[in-house]
Amino acid sequence: MKLIKAVGLIAVLGLGSALAQDRTQTLIYGGDWSDLITMDPQVSYEFSGGLVTDNLYETLVKYEGADLSTLRPGLAESWKVDRGRDSWEITFRLRRGSKFSSGNEVTARDGVYTCERALAIKGPGSFLFTEIAQLKPGATKALDNYTVMVSIPKTASPGSFLSILTFNIGGIVDSETVQRNARGNDFGKEWLTNNSAGSGPFRLVRWDRGSQVLLEASPNARLKPKLQRVILREIKEPAVLRTALESGEIDIAEGLTPEALRALANNPRFKTLRADSLRLNYLGMSVKEGSPFANNLVRDAVRYSINQDELVSGLVQGNGTKIQTIIPKGLLGYDARTPYNFDPARARRLLAQAGLPNGLEFELLVSTGICGGGIPCADIAAKIQSDLAKGGFKANVKAIANAEVLRTYRAQNHQMVLVGWSPDFPDPDGNATPLANYAARSLAWRNVWNDATSAKLANQASLETDPAKRTALYRLLTDYVLKNGPYAILYQPAVPLGLSAKVEGYVRNAQSQVRFENISKLP
Amino acid sequence: MFSYFIRRLFFVIFVAWGVTFATFFIANVVPIDPAIAALGDNAREEQIQEFRERYGLDKPIWQQYLIYMGRLASGDLGNSLRTQRAVAEDLREFFPATLELSVAAFLVTLLLGVPAGILAALRQNKASDVTVRVLALMGGATPVFFLAVLLQYVFARQLDLLPVQGRLDGFTFPPPRVTGLVGVDALLARDWAAFVDSLLHLMLPAFVLGLFSAAILARMTRATMLEVLSQDYIRTARAKGVAGRAVIFRHALKNASLPILTLLGGLLGGLLSGAVLTETIFSWPGIGRYVTQSATSLDFPAVMGVTLLVGLVYALINLITDLLYAFLDPRIRYS
Repeated sequence: MKLIKAVGLIAVLGLGSALAQDRTQTLIYGGDWSDLITMDPQVSYEFSGGLVTDNLYETLVKYEGADLSTLRPGLAESWKVDRGRDSWEITFRLRRGSKFSSGNEVTARDGVYTCERALAIKGPGSFLFTEIAQLKPGATKALDNYTVMVSIPKTASPGSFLSILTFNIGGIVDSETVQRNARGNDFGKEWLTNNSAGSGPFRLVRWDRGSQVLLEASPNARLKPKLQRVILREIKEPAVLRTALESGEIDIAEGLTPEALRALANNPRFKTLRADSLRLNYLGMSVKEGSPFANNLVRDAVRYSINQDELVSGLVQGNGTKIQTIIPKGLLGYDARTPYNFDPARARRLLAQAGLPNGLEFELLVSTGICGGGIPCADIAAKIQSDLAKGGFKANVKAIANAEVLRTYRAQNHQMVLVGWSPDFPDPDGNATPLANYAARSLAWRNVWNDATSAKLANQASLETDPAKRTALYRLLTDYVLKNGPYAILYQPAVPLGLSAKVEGYVRNAQSQVRFENISKLP
Repeated sequence: MFSYFIRRLFFVIFVAWGVTFATFFIANVVPIDPAIAALGDNAREEQIQEFRERYGLDKPIWQQYLIYMGRLASGDLGNSLRTQRAVAEDLREFFPATLELSVAAFLVTLLLGVPAGILAALRQNKASDVTVRVLALMGGATPVFFLAVLLQYVFARQLDLLPVQGRLDGFTFPPPRVTGLVGVDALLARDWAAFVDSLLHLMLPAFVLGLFSAAILARMTRATMLEVLSQDYIRTARAKGVAGRAVIFRHALKNASLPILTLLGGLLGGLLSGAVLTETIFSWPGIGRYVTQSATSLDFPAVMGVTLLVGLVYALINLITDLLYAFLDPRIRYS
């Protein structure tokens, strides 16, 4: 790497050839991994945790590449959904010969153990099993050595459950190894925080908190990686990320600034990428009784007041895309229509129709932190404030700590709030129910939008198993929420990345999953 | 002397108690819910409630404080809300990195600050004095983040001589963790490649961190040396024909060392409390970066743990400084 080091090491230790060989076999991935708190797939609920554990553990079903709408076989070579009398019965047929890094074969017993473990540990993501899938202890059974059957109630969506299984909570653990390292009834939770016991293409070698995570190719993996080692290097500062990439210390830099991305795009030594995310940045308007936003004409006036094109191209600088409907691009049911064009005159007319000819003054709550796409939320709020002024609104921007914005929002004490939302699992229901169903006590509830039509449509769509019918239902729902909901969707942020031109095969899907086994490095 | 030492150690306990009391109540004045800060937007009400109960956040503040102090008495610093493990474990993980960087930066401070100060004092108002004063002024006035990024740009990006960030190169396999000090661990493992690499990684952050302290130290050394050099006993020593070097080091520097020692104690304490900016810019996993992340996540147990550790470090350094006074100045006797 560095001159002194290269000379010193090569001359004194004679490691030149070994190091050179190692470089093409090692990928160093820099980014802000400070949210990493555990390597346990059934406990981890952080972006970075998912990024690592997705490569240590295989799931029964998975998504491939950037496509989040088609399920593919994982450890299960096939699966089927049957309508039982009181429940959905989902049967998975496991591949024979898949092995954990320990050498143990993956069997149905491990599948059962993993589901029971997730329910027993009650990690932060366990609600995906207990509430969304309504999975109960004992509902997962091994029919034989290679067949697992899961029963979930009729009121739960099998589509949602299957997409939840692509998440790290569904990462199948080596029951024998985990139980051997368990302490009392902890299901090996303490041990798996710092160790791995999966059948994924990599195994965890070492985790130096706040510094790096070191993964090595698992000798027994079914999916053979092209690289021997992957290192996740924690670098929080975007300027340092860029310098580290340019000086060759890292191969991939995640979370660059728009300026750095532009500079790298003009350098043939690097490639740039704006990876999709499933996040939506939006304005939430409280429609509780007495609020001016209770009148949909006022909400429509807000939607016509925002110059989204200018926001996305100017402020967000391409680190996001224009969207107006509630299901993000990348998921089934995404609707690309953007019928609300910037029309301040129309907004003023709508306000007058709503009985507010002199405009409307209100408070816009915003976080002091960074919003999706790496843009300070306060900058976005300033742009929205200026746009809304053209439409006859006077928004008083109040910038406070993010946790305080959320506390106010959760207490239904806001008038308008600028926040973001990412679905908990890669299924349209991850957005549809929270945003459309008041009873879910999520975003619709926070904005006091209790609408029977949207709740019914969201529920129907979540339970529908036929993809075509489901898409049609989501089309109806997104259109309804777009025109009647308490939201003005602003943009879908992207994740800016810089890569060495030597890196090939890198794909980051909108759920932040990267399959390291597909990545290779040119000499 | 021994009874003085015991008395001072007893005093340290009061310092620690004062630190916990102040930090705990200041932390609880912040009108933000740590549960929401830790769990984020998607968390459900039940999860938030369960989190509050698990960490005792649903109890009155005075009760939380009593529980905390009770645990502290048995050496338990509690669990971090952010990393969800024992704060003591976190400190064991992150403090060695800070210690490593602080010691290196302290060496930079000593090696640059003291000689520069002596040189400036001996050549008062000459070109070298003016140069030292200007450099000291610049060193003290240049913001750490600016200097760090500038040096990274020059030494890493343009000259490709030194690494930009981290404690070891990604291509170097880290030595087994024994002390947590990478250089020492590398030596213990006889991994010379890792040792050399760790030294290279230490250079830029240690220089950036040490330069500011060196600038202050140079000015202090110069001022004290000038004062001592004008004393009668120095003139007498010179008149007696004592060699120049002996006058400077044995007579002048030793007598000038008390204020310098006091300053050094404060500087070392400051370095050991974690340099937030330097650690962030150089991706150095020390307690400075840890406490910043903890503070922004409203992780009070972690903030309390770091504050307590830093308080103890300061108290200990002050104690050692006081004991060194007696060693350097025979007139000082503790009883």
